[in-house]
Amino acid sequence: MHKLVFIVLLMVFGTNAQTPMSSSEADALKAKVKELSDETNTITSDFVQYKHLDFLSDDIISEGKLAFKSPNMVKWEYIKPFSYSVLFKNETLFINDDGKKSDMDMGSNKIFKQLNQLITASIKGDMFDASEFEVSYFKIDGASEVHFQPKDKQFSEFIKSFHITFNVKGEVLVVKMIEPSEDYTEIVFTNRKTNQPLSDAVFAQ
Amino acid sequence: MRYLLSSIFALCLVSCASYPKKNGFTKMEATQQSITNVYFGDASKDYVYKANIEAFGNSFSGIFIVKKLGTAHHRIAFTTEMGNKIFDFSFRGKDFKVNHILKKMDRKILLNILKNDFSVLVKEYPSLEKVFQKEKTTVYKTDIENKKYYHFLSEEELTKIVQVKNSKKKVEFTFSEINDNIAKHIQILHQNLNLKITLKAI
Repeated sequence: MHKLVFIVLLMVFGTNAQTPMSSSEADALKAKVKELSDETNTITSDFVQYKHLDFLSDDIISEGKLAFKSPNMVKWEYIKPFSYSVLFKNETLFINDDGKKSDMDMGSNKIFKQLNQLITASIKGDMFDASEFEVSYFKIDGASEVHFQPKDKQFSEFIKSFHITFNVKGEVLVVKMIEPSEDYTEIVFTNRKTNQPLSDAVFAQ
Repeated sequence: MRYLLSSIFALCLVSCASYPKKNGFTKMEATQQSITNVYFGDASKDYVYKANIEAFGNSFSGIFIVKKLGTAHHRIAFTTEMGNKIFDFSFRGKDFKVNHILKKMDRKILLNILKNDFSVLVKEYPSLEKVFQKEKTTVYKTDIENKKYYHFLSEEELTKIVQVKNSKKKVEFTFSEINDNIAKHIQILHQNLNLKITLKAI
């Protein structure tokens, strides 16, 4: 009986075991992600966002589409259960809230500038900038998970840590943003297509 | 001169009249001690709304979340669509606690406004002072944290709450698209401040 319990425990915890990477494994992952990122000109992907608040019974789920075009045009479009999109383009953040349009100049706003850089970098996965983050590397179920802790105090008021999960090819599967309160937002990407022609009209406001 | 005096007197009669009088309510006999606001009363439900806040010339949107955690105990949070938390408050009896608020918004005046508005929104059993009738609507004069309110019920559904100060409307809460004890559309409109909060259930 004890053996059985042990085996069950091993199965439960064993499969989710988070093993720290050796420095050579981490370097190999960095190189792979960087290489993939450098040759990526466009990305389209569907996403499902899970907003976890500890006091709620269920996560708040929203779905949408993402489009990225090098070097720094990004459009997040929520489709369900509401229509809302944010477009980062030329230092400006364009918002379309169910037809109601507004924009914001990010040039003067340090936080938004950083947010834009982070979003672009996290979609491509290439955010291993040691000067801005404390970075740690883990292996989970054959995939890789990297934790980024912002060093900037102003930024860490919003986000305590980013966790990015990469598949074996070095593509981003999941981005998890953890708040100082431990509540988090998890974004799971599916149906990812890279380097397909993407018209500028996608990024028109 | 006499004309001036009488017109001032007439003006005073109108403007100094109580809120029910000004609005033509008929006083009724009160038969109960409190009324019920059912809209955030089910602890098994997560109440999630898409929110638009127009405040002092700025407009921003996000997700507004209300959760009942126990008797007279609610949690209210507001996040951006992308999930970043803007504020997170706890209301427990008369206690109000700020669990989180963006530093930029951490101003006592703003916090007081939000605290007042949201405590009215989630107050399940406001204590009753008087009852009035206007056509098919029953109007209950209520007291929440020593402030005067009028709860409007049409066919037993809460459709409006008005905060009144010095006989004048100060804040108006309207509830519409009501189904299964959920108001799918809620608006909080301030009369003296440039502040409007619109909530749509998602």
